[in-house]
Amino acid sequence: MIEFKDVVKEFPDGFRAIKELSFEVRQGEICVLIGPSGCGKTTSMRMVNRLLSITSGKILVDGRDNREMKIEELRRKIGYAIQQIGLFPHFTVYDNIAVVPRLLGWEEDRIYKRANMLLELVGLDPDVNRDKYPRQLSGGQQQRVGVARALGADPPIMLMDEPFGAIDPITREVLQEEFLQIQKEISKTIIFVTHDIDEAIKMGDRICLLRDGKLEQLDTPDTILAHPKNRFVRDFVGSDRQLKRLGLVRVRELMTSDTPTVRFEDKAEEALDMIRKLDVRSAFVVDSDGHLKGWVDREALEQNPSSLTEAMHEGDYQEIGVRESQTAREALSAMVARGFRITPVVDERGRVKGSITLRSLQELSEEGWAESRPGAVAQ
Amino acid sequence: MVLFALAIVPFIIALRKQSEARGWLLVGLGNLLLILTLLLPAIAGQQLVNNPGDFFEESVRASDPRVLPSAALALGLLGSYFVLFAGLRDLEREGVSDFARSVATWGGGVIIVLLLLNGTFDVYSIMIEFYSTGELLGQKFTEHLAFVAISLVVGTVVGIGLGLWASRDDRIAPVILYTVGIIQTIPSLALFGVLLVPLAALGSQEFLPTLYFFLASLGVAAVVVVLYVLVADRLQSQLRTALLIVSAIATAVPLALLTGVLVSVLFRVSIIAFTSGDYGNLVSTLVTLFLVGVALWAVARWLLRDESRAEKYTTYASWLAYASAFVTLIVLFVQAGDSSSYLGRVDSISTMTMRDLGVRGIGVTPALVALTLYSLLPLVRNTYAGLNNVDNAIIDSGRGMGMTPSQRFFQIELPIALPVIMAGIRNAGVALVGIGTVATVIGAGGLGDFVIQGIVNTSVDQILLGALPAIALALVLDAGLRGIESLLTSPGIKQVQS
Repeated sequence: MIEFKDVVKEFPDGFRAIKELSFEVRQGEICVLIGPSGCGKTTSMRMVNRLLSITSGKILVDGRDNREMKIEELRRKIGYAIQQIGLFPHFTVYDNIAVVPRLLGWEEDRIYKRANMLLELVGLDPDVNRDKYPRQLSGGQQQRVGVARALGADPPIMLMDEPFGAIDPITREVLQEEFLQIQKEISKTIIFVTHDIDEAIKMGDRICLLRDGKLEQLDTPDTILAHPKNRFVRDFVGSDRQLKRLGLVRVRELMTSDTPTVRFEDKAEEALDMIRKLDVRSAFVVDSDGHLKGWVDREALEQNPSSLTEAMHEGDYQEIGVRESQTAREALSAMVARGFRITPVVDERGRVKGSITLRSLQELSEEGWAESRPGAVAQ
Repeated sequence: MVLFALAIVPFIIALRKQSEARGWLLVGLGNLLLILTLLLPAIAGQQLVNNPGDFFEESVRASDPRVLPSAALALGLLGSYFVLFAGLRDLEREGVSDFARSVATWGGGVIIVLLLLNGTFDVYSIMIEFYSTGELLGQKFTEHLAFVAISLVVGTVVGIGLGLWASRDDRIAPVILYTVGIIQTIPSLALFGVLLVPLAALGSQEFLPTLYFFLASLGVAAVVVVLYVLVADRLQSQLRTALLIVSAIATAVPLALLTGVLVSVLFRVSIIAFTSGDYGNLVSTLVTLFLVGVALWAVARWLLRDESRAEKYTTYASWLAYASAFVTLIVLFVQAGDSSSYLGRVDSISTMTMRDLGVRGIGVTPALVALTLYSLLPLVRNTYAGLNNVDNAIIDSGRGMGMTPSQRFFQIELPIALPVIMAGIRNAGVALVGIGTVATVIGAGGLGDFVIQGIVNTSVDQILLGALPAIALALVLDAGLRGIESLLTSPGIKQVQS
């Protein structure tokens, strides 16, 4: 737990970067600090492990004023990962991860086990990568090692300053996902600095929006998107904030199991009967095992085709289906791209598990669904 | 005739397609040419000496027959090296291992050295000169080596210290870099002359008053530095700069003098040790230095225990300076109290003059001081560049992970800057071997003695007798330091072989 109490930071040139900032980062949450350039997000973070001194006020780390602790001891129990990664180029991957444990005087045996565990955790094969030097790794791999190094001595708290900022967008997505998975296991208390609102929404349990060294709003991503406190927050999160909210919901939460389907083995007339009975304009075509084969429109069937195959549009499940774990935003994107008002939800082998409708997405944005959503962090 | 035929061969070989085989052929041929160029005239000369009657009238026979190397010999050597290097390039491109290539490079040289030891080349005039100087060459070589080594070691300590200081303090950096740059532009002869006056004057001073002066100015410097640290944040920037300059001068003047004294004492002790084979004094001096250094280091660490203050000092270097200054004083006392050392000849400290410590206008002291000054530019510049180029993100990571300032310096900054600093040491070392030959004009000795004699006597052999060992020393020093560098540099930051 980290608590800012009336923290002020004034630089020697008289610039007041932080003005009486008070907020609390809860045990086990990712608190994202975000704001425009110069808002003081990195400055705030760097005062936690005293890379910058506090002018007045105090920061409590686990209930203790961080200035009471010896500076090195404080830092050794706070993991630190930065955008530039800053791996030591003359150390092997192993030695880099071992830095803090060695500073703490761990036994080499224990460090070795810990390093292997961490490498596996961040998705690098220990036997392949342990003795490599940083320059032999790709940018993404280096940042994985950077995260592993920050976790080196299993610190309860982590500070991450745009850790995925310098990595290409595709790898960044992967690393973000992986890090969220890791966080589920390790539940660290994390301050995460970024300037990218999408990253903040994705990574944060709560988002702390700063402007000119002052707190504008500290809330869950959904609350910030649904109820921005003022004009600045509204502008900052962007005019597509409703769309962004869709990014917070998984398909799993919105899908229905009653999906209009016709069977691939059916004759055209049987399919038409089925569509009429369901009273829909089109239906998905599945085989006897439930695998998605394509879709068929009611109009096409009404023109008396010789067979269902002639009337249907064949489509690969990876193209037209969405997965349960995808976000509602991705489902919407898929619908827009295909011109569907309903899209099938499939499992990894292409079997139809249900569907999601455009209507359900629209309802989401209109209603205050988030407050009643199970699992949402309470205000 | 044989040589001529061999000289044609490379052209023929060169027409072949590039390959490992061509490389080996060229290398082999280069080495062969190298050996033959030296060997054939020697054999011919030996014939002449053994059977002079076949070639000369009895009356013209020289009393001391010798073969004078001619321009042809030099060209022959040059040619062989061209062939050798062409071959080496081929081998490098074909990815032949380092070891095989160094065998190829030095193979011919080793055979020549063996032949040399065997006496095959004794007929050359330079060898005859060598035999006639006998022991003297060894002694001069030792002298040369001693003053190059000592000024390199002292220069390294001071140079790295200054470079460190420059890299920590942006305001002082240009002052330091310009100063060492200007020193480098003074012609070496002039620098020896310039040092003559103050050192001679200092030499005539009594020891104790001088010592008190040193201590007083160091005290002033210490007070100023402490003051600076205490009030730096509250001062106008001009006043801050002024204070910094005062403390720098108060430190630098006595420090420079003390460094001179320290190096001359070290020189004396090591020369005595090398020539008499009694290493006791040298060892005791070095052990003292080491122990005092460790003690001072501990004190400095204690003073710098708080990081925010350490960063305010920004001058590890000034502590380094104090450290070396006090070490000097203590070493002097130890030496003075030890009757077995050469200082024991002086009756008591109170009547001792600086001259008794070796501080003189001519001789080894000014040479060591001048050489140390010359070594500074590459050392300071490379240390500064090396440390400044360490990525800030890396240092920030180190800080963020809870490394102390000294852990950061020794575990991160120094290892990363090391290749650059080592390159500076190599440059300085090689340059010192060369400049060291000039030191002979102020009576410092060394290989320069032969060169000067040779010029006076218009004897090329004598010049070569001084020059060749100096060249060999420079090459060996360079190779040795390269080896050390390679051992100390992590594979993670080694330059990739192109």
